[in-house]
Amino acid sequence: MTAPVVSRVGSLTRVSSERAGLLSLVLVGVALLSVGARWVSGTIAVLILVLAALVVVGWITLAVLGSPETKRALAPYGLLKPGSMWLAMFYLAPLWTLLTSSLSAKKTRFDVFPTFSWEFSNYGKAFSDFGPQFGRAFLYAGIATFITILIGYPIAYVIAFRCGKYRNILLGLVVIPFFTSYLIRTIAWTSILADSGPVVNILNSLSLTGVLESLNIMDNGKLINTPAAVIGGLTYNFLPFMILPIYVSLEKIDVRLVDAAQDLYSSAARAFRKIVVPLSVPGVFAGTLLTFIPAAGDFVNAQFLGNPNTTMIGNSIQDQFLRQNNYPVASAMSFVLMAIITVLVIVYSRFFGTADLA
Amino acid sequence: MNTPKRGLSRRELLIRSGVVGAAGLSLPAILAACGGDDGGNGGGVGDLLIENWPEYIDLTEDDVPGTIDRFIAASGVKTTYSEAYNDNLEYFAKIQPLLGTGKTIEPDIIMPTQWMAGRLRKLGWLEKLPTDKVPNAKNLEDAFKNPPSDPTGEYSLPWQSGIAGIAYNIDATGRELKSIADLFDPAFKGKIGMLTEMRDTVGLLLLGLGINPSNITSFDEAAGAFEQLEKAKSNGQIRAFTGNDYIDDLGLGNFAACIGWSGDVLQLGTDNPSVRFVVPEEGATLWWDTMVVPKGAKNVEAAAKFMDFVFDPVQAAQITAYVQYISPVKGVREEVAKIDAALADNPLLFPDDETKKRFFPFADLSDEVEAQFEEAFSGVIGA
Amino acid sequence: MSVTTKRGRVGRIALNVFAGFGFIYLFLPIAFIVAFSFNQPKGKFNIVWQRFTLENWTDPFSDTALTDAFVTSLKIAAVSTLIATFLGSMIAIALSRYRFRGSAAYNFLLVLPLTTPEIVLGSSLATLFLGQSMVDFGFGTIVIAHAMFQVSFVALTVRARIRGFDWTLEQAAQDLGASPVRTFWKVTFPLILPGISAASLLAFALSLDDFIITFFNAGSTLTFPLRIFGASRVELPPQINVLASVILVVTVSIMAVGSLLGQRRRRRLGQTA
Repeated sequence: MTAPVVSRVGSLTRVSSERAGLLSLVLVGVALLSVGARWVSGTIAVLILVLAALVVVGWITLAVLGSPETKRALAPYGLLKPGSMWLAMFYLAPLWTLLTSSLSAKKTRFDVFPTFSWEFSNYGKAFSDFGPQFGRAFLYAGIATFITILIGYPIAYVIAFRCGKYRNILLGLVVIPFFTSYLIRTIAWTSILADSGPVVNILNSLSLTGVLESLNIMDNGKLINTPAAVIGGLTYNFLPFMILPIYVSLEKIDVRLVDAAQDLYSSAARAFRKIVVPLSVPGVFAGTLLTFIPAAGDFVNAQFLGNPNTTMIGNSIQDQFLRQNNYPVASAMSFVLMAIITVLVIVYSRFFGTADLA
Repeated sequence: MNTPKRGLSRRELLIRSGVVGAAGLSLPAILAACGGDDGGNGGGVGDLLIENWPEYIDLTEDDVPGTIDRFIAASGVKTTYSEAYNDNLEYFAKIQPLLGTGKTIEPDIIMPTQWMAGRLRKLGWLEKLPTDKVPNAKNLEDAFKNPPSDPTGEYSLPWQSGIAGIAYNIDATGRELKSIADLFDPAFKGKIGMLTEMRDTVGLLLLGLGINPSNITSFDEAAGAFEQLEKAKSNGQIRAFTGNDYIDDLGLGNFAACIGWSGDVLQLGTDNPSVRFVVPEEGATLWWDTMVVPKGAKNVEAAAKFMDFVFDPVQAAQITAYVQYISPVKGVREEVAKIDAALADNPLLFPDDETKKRFFPFADLSDEVEAQFEEAFSGVIGA
Repeated sequence: MSVTTKRGRVGRIALNVFAGFGFIYLFLPIAFIVAFSFNQPKGKFNIVWQRFTLENWTDPFSDTALTDAFVTSLKIAAVSTLIATFLGSMIAIALSRYRFRGSAAYNFLLVLPLTTPEIVLGSSLATLFLGQSMVDFGFGTIVIAHAMFQVSFVALTVRARIRGFDWTLEQAAQDLGASPVRTFWKVTFPLILPGISAASLLAFALSLDDFIITFFNAGSTLTFPLRIFGASRVELPPQINVLASVILVVTVSIMAVGSLLGQRRRRRLGQTA
């Protein structure tokens, strides 16, 4: 089949080779997605994979034999192809299988392959049985995100404007704690916050426990196994994801601008409000997404630092999927979680402009 | 459900070296045996892979050979021992996609708790044990013969047994505890722990309500216990549902009292005299973990050899001395007594018949009822 | 700064003090982890300080199950990082080097995996693998799962790092007669290499530490975080802290060396330019 193609290669215009490139990229992506998502199976699946392989071979032939202009037009699609096939197979296709799984029913209690049957009751169950867990997930993640802004913004500000040549070292210091295992860090908090641990002892000797209990941070003399501990753990574990993007946006601000403003307005606070804050909004926006999204799906903090009344939706998904073998309901919960987060992100972007995470 | 110990007490070292001596083995002899047998398999039996709960056997430490190394030396079977069995439900979820579709899993012996062994048997995921190759199975204590989970006794042999009762830290409670009702004492609000193992927690609460967990046949009969549990959770009485990590919370005083397993507490009690274990006056739940061979395992014969080995009272005494749970092997008490009389007199390791009457295994639930129990329980523990 | 009022000065100090506390907060658990690697715990859980010992460090690999899991994690991270670096760098080059139809949509696709909660990524991949009867959970599925999110990560990081790259250099090399292949290896590759290596290093660290996605796709394979999670219910040996400290020291050294090399390189380039 290559012979006629080759003879036409020379005559391909830039636009048509671009079209061919884009088309082949989309084609292989869809091919792999369809196999992964089990829209097709058996011989058809094999045929489709063979076809996809042929498209790749065809593309290589075009790229090797084509004119420099054709090559140039085709290059990006070629570079993207392996990665796209990967993402189609292992990111997009799984989302589809998650969706089908969430609409499936188990034939027997220990059915490994639930059957697709438009089983919407899984979603009903996800909401009716796990409503509180959804609520807590978003509540805790929201509070934790808010606190990371309160803590992270000043840190990012000091690094960006007050540290001169030590900036990079301090940035490194922000990142370093996160090269120890996530689990070990979280477990370390259990010793720090234990009833007989250092923090509780200090609070006791300062007679602050009463105050904290009235604020609902402590409960009956304990810090750990409380909602506050879970939120604290989330805050800690995702803090760098707030500091770094804010720093990046602050770093771009020309300090002379602030100086000039201070000269004119003669109020640091006002200069901060009028110049620094608006320019750092994109950083706060990106940081919010990078903190809120993983925090809402987390189950490690609730597991180690919480109590039976502080479980989040992540705990439920994990338990239903990996202990109760209830794949359909667990999939429904996963899907709902993703849907809610997507909606929140869209609404949030409307208020704060477009997302530029990259 | 396992027990464990990091460092070794001097007493234990004595026990272990004593038993090793009695078995006529010394470390150099064992090392020589292992060294000479590197790739080879004794008697044409293949390599053996065992998956057990963490720290549930005496492993070689400080030149004292553990049970696995003694087994290798005695049998020549190349054995790999892994501690990959962490949780009954989690383990089940891992093997389900394999055994449920007719594939095999790697280990030749796994150690599910008796009710899980029953589930695996009913699903047809277990091999029959070649009982003729386990002559020492005659040493099985009568109480464990033909349980409801394995009525013919062909699929499983008990590994260790124990009871779930009340563990408490007297520094935190300020008083001795006797009754299951003490777990609901408002004075201990937020300082109570319960187990994530459904049968141990619900079973004990049933006993507290005067219901025998061995006779449960429907969910309704246990509904009272679930209500009690739900209430204690919602009002903050219960601080956490845990696995073995309650030991740590208990030692720290994070828990005043909790449902705990006998062997664990025996271990901690030696380090921390404030931590105590009591068989409540209403009774305690009895459980045991079993050795089973998954369907399609490659080395059933080697597995049988291992089971035979650990049903030898001399070897079983070694394991008992380390893990400090109730041994299902007859004659262990005498073997333990030869080395440490105090240990042999411990009523939690070797309960008298009067106490044994207060131990209740959880009923073997039908599939449907079990599903109801598990769903309700997972709802309460808030996952 | 121009006129600094007294109030301004107080505010400044207060801000610096606050940031200082922030750093203490960031390092508090790390200090605990490192300190407890020198602890001799009573019992199985290394969470209460007993007494100082060097014993754990003289034998960091004495917990064989933990060490095995750690080695497994290193292997998985190595393979998945290799895959992700290869695929991700190609995407990054395509996106920054060329203008083409569909690049905006592609950017969006790339960001998606990073804005999907890990638990959704993990459970969705598990439903994919569950349905494929020839796939068994284990080493391979973990590698795929890790490489899946690493690809986006590598692509975006590399793209950010090579944004300012002067692609006309390639043209110049080719005008001087270098073949495209030679141009790539002699001109392009050395210039984008720092970006790629930084991205792959971070991707490696992400893989090594991933817990949630791995948990759903591991079968009976145990990685370092999975082993810690499993063991945390029965024991927390001090070797966990030792290995965690080792990882910390190694990564910090690599980062330090990397940034030093980067500085020297920049200085050299700055001089020749």
